[in-house]
Order: sequence, then structure tokens, then C-alpha cells
Amino acid sequence: MAKKVLLRVYGMTCDDCVAHVKNGLEKIGKNVDVSLDGNAVLDIDNDFDPYKIPSLDVFNGRYKAQVKEIKDD
Amino acid sequence: MTEYDLGIIGYGAAGFAAAIRASELTYNGMKIALIGHGDIGGTCVNRGCVPSKYLIEASKQLFSSKNPLYPGIKSSAEINFNELMSSLRNFVSKAREEKYINVIKNFGNIDIYKGKAHFVSKNEVMVNSEKIKATNFIIATGSRPYIPENIDNYVTSDDIWSIDELPRKLAIIGSGAVAMEMAYAFSNLGSEVYVFNRSDHVLKNFDNDISRLLIEHMKNLGVKFIFGDINKADDDYVISDKKYDGFDKILVATSRVPNIDINLDAASVNYRHGIIVDDHLRTSNKMIYAAGDCVEQRLQLETLAGREGVTAVENILGFDKSIDFRSIPWVVFTEPNVASVGLTENQLKDYKKRVIELKNVVKSSILMQDGIVKMLTDKNGTVLGVQAFAPYAAEFIAEAASVIRKQGSYNDFIETMHVFPTVSESIKITAQSFIRDISKMSCCME
Repeated sequence: MAKKVLLRVYGMTCDDCVAHVKNGLEKIGKNVDVSLDGNAVLDIDNDFDPYKIPSLDVFNGRYKAQVKEIKDD
Repeated sequence: MTEYDLGIIGYGAAGFAAAIRASELTYNGMKIALIGHGDIGGTCVNRGCVPSKYLIEASKQLFSSKNPLYPGIKSSAEINFNELMSSLRNFVSKAREEKYINVIKNFGNIDIYKGKAHFVSKNEVMVNSEKIKATNFIIATGSRPYIPENIDNYVTSDDIWSIDELPRKLAIIGSGAVAMEMAYAFSNLGSEVYVFNRSDHVLKNFDNDISRLLIEHMKNLGVKFIFGDINKADDDYVISDKKYDGFDKILVATSRVPNIDINLDAASVNYRHGIIVDDHLRTSNKMIYAAGDCVEQRLQLETLAGREGVTAVENILGFDKSIDFRSIPWVVFTEPNVASVGLTENQLKDYKKRVIELKNVVKSSILMQDGIVKMLTDKNGTVLGVQAFAPYAAEFIAEAASVIRKQGSYNDFIETMHVFPTVSESIKITAQSFIRDISKMSCCME
């Protein structure tokens, strides 16, 4: 793990939404934390382009994501 | 300092489209700063498409009233130019209010900032004395008229809308869409119009045959074309091959240049004449996108700007969108219209071509209008480009755009039933000319 990515997630309205988004992000990252207020953070490998995160399947429908910040661990 | 999810610099076509699409995709959850100066709505509604089309349509009515085409009709018409321009400005004001000011009130997630923005870091701009920080920015600052150094005391397409007196004698410098449309409109309204241009080709993105037809048509309307270098123009005279004087106005319509004076260096955004973007409209700063006339690109169109604004937002939110430059239609609203989509002969090497004259189209004959439609395909019949010099071409060129976008063939036009009699049939008849001699074809032939 080499990068920490902060996301803004749109479209979540309940805890089930949070769980759904968290589950989707865990397919490519670890230490995933998603809040109902629209913030999410996760760690990803160096070889995964963080700007591809909003293109994940979980964001292909109701939910949308925007990369806020990328931090090198 | 105020923080936003998205900062949009420019509230014209691209900026508005971006703001609305971002709001739609995020259920109005994205907090947006929409920053601009001047009249809200940008060039199109205030100084471009809307006032120019109003003036053109009014001028057409005056001209046709004075010059009825059909036997047995006699008429006359007068113009009160002051009243016409007042109504034009009222229309623009109403369009701005209905289509921009009132629209944005529906979005509580969008804050409007009035002022000139400039970057102070990779994710911050200053507007007036306020610092605005945003996760992403979309630059949509538009363009402005380019003024050659040797020209003084002129008007441009930005400010000609404020005149109240019809120029008795008008000089227009340039040969693009704005120059041709203004020459057409003011000629119809009664001005003595001179068009000055360096080369004898007008509308540089069109092939020579269309350019020549337009020039001949405009000459028949009374527009005078002076080709050659312009050495000096000032107030009431233009010096080209000789001195032409006595002009009431000089309208400069040479080209438009991107507005990029917003300290792009501070944001690490690369630029040349315009902002450099990749296929996804992303700049050299991965968090900053650009859309519309400020981008370094071949076409400057309101529809393209709007599409780019939408595309930039969609890509920020994970879409994989790019602009299909092959299928962008564009039109010069002279009458007949000049319309184009796709590639031209100048851009192609191996291609098949069919050109029909509008005398083969019943509706055009009824309208007593000449013109041509040209279709270019590859060896398999896939349509590569369509150009038209025809009445109502602005209304039917989108059909060709749709076929080209879907990489369709001339058969797509043939197999689509068209209403008879319409000028839009001309595009189908052009397609039919790939498979039969249209001079031996009845007008109902499918």
C-alpha cells in the first residue's frame, strides 16, 4: 500500500448505501472508511491509478465519486 | 477562504452546461462556485448566436418584403433601425433571464461569483478579494474578438449590438462565419457592405466550391468583396489595394482568441494560443479541466462548448467520455444557409463524392433558391462528410451528423423516409445519386 486517497461520494442516503460503497471500494483498496456525509478514504497500491476510482462499478449507477486528494504514505 | 467541490471559471455556455450536469449527476450534492464577469450567459446569448440570428431573421423579412419572388405579389417595406435594435436587445435580455438567470435559481448548490478570477495556486483562485478553493476546476473562460494591430476605431461582434443607426456604408474585415453573417444581414437591411479579406476564400473550413458559391451569392445581393492585404483601417477608411473611405462603421470580424489570461502558470496548466487538453478535456494539471472556446481547438461553437462542459464534468465523475470531432455540425446563417459536418475534400485523399444541385429538389424550386449539397464517403459508402449551401440546411444538417456519428452509409439516408416536399430531401437525393442517375428519377422515388 502506498497511497491514501480521499474521495467525495455522492448519492448515499442510508447505511446500506455506505455499506454498498465500502464493499465496492474494498475490491481495489484496504482500510476503507466511508461516511454517510459523503467522505471516503482508502489505501491503494501504487500501481493502481487513483483517478480510475470514480470509474469503478460501484460508481456506475446511483453513486458518483470525485477524487479529492491523493497522499503518498 | 470558501471551499467547493467544483470551481467553474466562466458562466457562458460551457460553464453553465458543466454546472447543471454536475448538479444532475450528484443530486445537487456537489457544491459549485460558478465564477464569471460581464453579462451572465457568455458570448452566445449576449453577443453571439442569439442577437446575430435575431438580426439576420429580421433582415430577411425586410429583404423579402421589398423583393417578393412570386408573380402577382407587390409589396413595400420600411425599416426603423432604432426600434429593431431596441427589440433585439430586449429579446437578448429576456433570453438571458429565462435561459440563464432563472435557470440557475433552481440549483441551491451553485453559488455565483461575479468578478475576474485568476489562479493563485494549483487549486485556488482569487475573485475580487476573495479566495476560492476547489477540489476540481473547469476553465470555461471563452474567447474574444482578435484585433489586428493596424486597425483602429472599429466595432466588433461584441459591441455592434448597441448601435441605433443603420450604417449607410459598412466595412467588414474578415471572412469567417461572423463576417459573412453580418455582411448578409446589413446588406439586407440596406447598408452598402464591403467585405475586406486577405485571400479570395471565405469560410476557411469549407471547400472551395462552397466558398465560391457563397461569394457569388453575396455579390448578387450587392455585397462588395475586396481581396488583398489590409494595410490600414481607421474610423472611416480601409487601405487595401487602394483607399476605400466614407464608411460609417468598420466591423472587425477576423477571428476570436481564447481568454486565458488567468495566471495559468500558478495552476501548472499548459497553454499555447489556448489551453491544451487531452481527449478527456483534462489539462496538464490532473484536477483541472477546460471546455469551450478557451481550449486550443479548431472549432469555436456554442454547441461544442456546451458538450465539452458536460463532458468535462462527466470525466471528473469517472465517465470515459471524449468529443467526437467528426460529427460536429456547424452552420453559417446566411440565406441559403451554409452547413457542414464531418470531413471536407481538403482534408481527405481517397474518397467518393456526389454533388447535387438544388434544382433537383422540388421544394427548393418552389422556394426559388439555388444551392448544392455535397456528400463524401469512403470506398465502402461510409459517410465521411456532408456540406450544404441550401435553404434550411441548419435544420437538416443534424441528420447527417447523426449518420456520421454512427459511422453509417449513404444507405441510411436513402432508407430513411423524408417528408415531401422539403429541402431536407436534398440530403437523401444526394445519397441516391450514389446508386442511380437522379436526372432519371421521379420526385417520389424511394
